[in-house]
Amino acid sequence: MGARRVAITGAGVISPLGNSLAEFHRALAEGRSGIRRLPEEITQGSGVQVGAMVDWNPVPMFTEAEAINIDRVGQFAIAAATQALGASGLDLNSARRERIGVHWGTGMGGAHTLEASFQRLYGSRDWRARPLTVVMAMNNAAGSNVALRHGLRGPFANYSTACSSSAMALGEAMRTIAAGRADAMIAGGSEALLTPGTLAAWFALRTLAPADPADPAASCKPFDKRRSGLVLGEGAAAFVLEDESHARARGAHIHGYLTGYGNSCDATHMSRPDRDGQVRAMQEALAESAREPGDIGYINAHGTATMVGDTVEADAVRAVFGEPDGDGAVRVSSTKSLHGHLLGGAGALEFAAALLALEKGIAPPTAYLEQPDPACRVRHVPMKSEKIALPRAVMSNSFAFGGSNVVLIAERA
Amino acid sequence: MDTLARIKDLAAKEFSIDPKGLDPAAPLDTFGIDSLSFIEFMFKIEEEFGVSVSDEDLRSIKTLADLEHHVAAALAAAGKA
Repeated sequence: MGARRVAITGAGVISPLGNSLAEFHRALAEGRSGIRRLPEEITQGSGVQVGAMVDWNPVPMFTEAEAINIDRVGQFAIAAATQALGASGLDLNSARRERIGVHWGTGMGGAHTLEASFQRLYGSRDWRARPLTVVMAMNNAAGSNVALRHGLRGPFANYSTACSSSAMALGEAMRTIAAGRADAMIAGGSEALLTPGTLAAWFALRTLAPADPADPAASCKPFDKRRSGLVLGEGAAAFVLEDESHARARGAHIHGYLTGYGNSCDATHMSRPDRDGQVRAMQEALAESAREPGDIGYINAHGTATMVGDTVEADAVRAVFGEPDGDGAVRVSSTKSLHGHLLGGAGALEFAAALLALEKGIAPPTAYLEQPDPACRVRHVPMKSEKIALPRAVMSNSFAFGGSNVVLIAERA
Repeated sequence: MDTLARIKDLAAKEFSIDPKGLDPAAPLDTFGIDSLSFIEFMFKIEEEFGVSVSDEDLRSIKTLADLEHHVAAALAAAGKA
């Protein structure tokens, strides 16, 4: 990494656990799940039972007209980014906006727009598509809406690498600042694909958890012997990343530093994860941040609660961090048990979860982990959050279909 | 409600403008309506009135009064007026 350190000066969250960073952190600390039975109009014939929805009313952030013309995934993006900017205290009126950019991540883009269009075409046999269909559904619309809303004219990119999309956006934004190409970046990601057609496609993969018969909120059980798959979620998380000297010059509060970014591809299989690919990404992130495994106090695991995925990730963590012996072993949890899998938005949201451990020494839990699978041997944070010594650094893992592995490391301010 | 009132109502909703402030003779861009949002608006007009406005007619529409004229003509041609 270059001489410029990259500070985290603001964060915004739109999630199934609440629509602010504070609400999100509170729910994580209390272990409150946002997973519910999905309403019939969303599941329809898909077979999917549970999901993690955002409690969302676009008004008053958007006028009625804006809300109709910006896909849900873009609304989440704008809302999270606006929160992050507000929290950062960055005054855009005096800032050089051509030195502030946006790097965003989303897996599917405007799923609601696309599906409404197909519904009209194939369902109603009405071949007049809305003129805004293209600009609402395109994958880069969410990030472009963030830039447009705030007049951010610096470097722009949109990453779409399934479940690692927004983690990649953060990592690449860090490098953009480190390389001196921007003073600050809005980086994050969003996903909003809880639509009948998308659910049907996911259901066909046979990778989704059915509703827990006793408690639908407990349907996602990463690392547990009883785990039965992932639960889809929606939402967004955004961060203001900033050149440290720029942040210090304006007296900004610094939450921490983004110092490590590992990026690898398995190149072994489209969906089956590969331990070695994950190990390479973790090692690259550690090398870039010049940290030893012992400096990492908490890992927010990818932990989707699939049989194969959790086992491979636990293997990879042990390969890098060693056997989880003693009280000093790195705490590992998957907060997907609470907020579901945000896919393209997952990396950013889980980076926000990792900040809870970094800033407050609260390791969020893997909720509902009552029967840890011996094949997933790591130092878990089962059931409830755990107070830990303030870590030097934390890690967040995001591993995607297509074999993309992204690992981020944040360090204490 | 007459055709112009319905058009003004739709325009007010689409562009978040007070319908009272909509001068039918004013060029559409004075309300901040750009070409993309105009095309989306026309789509909704066509839906609302059940008419189709040709590309050629579309290009000649500069004001809400022009729009009313074309919608009224289309309605008459369709026997709806």
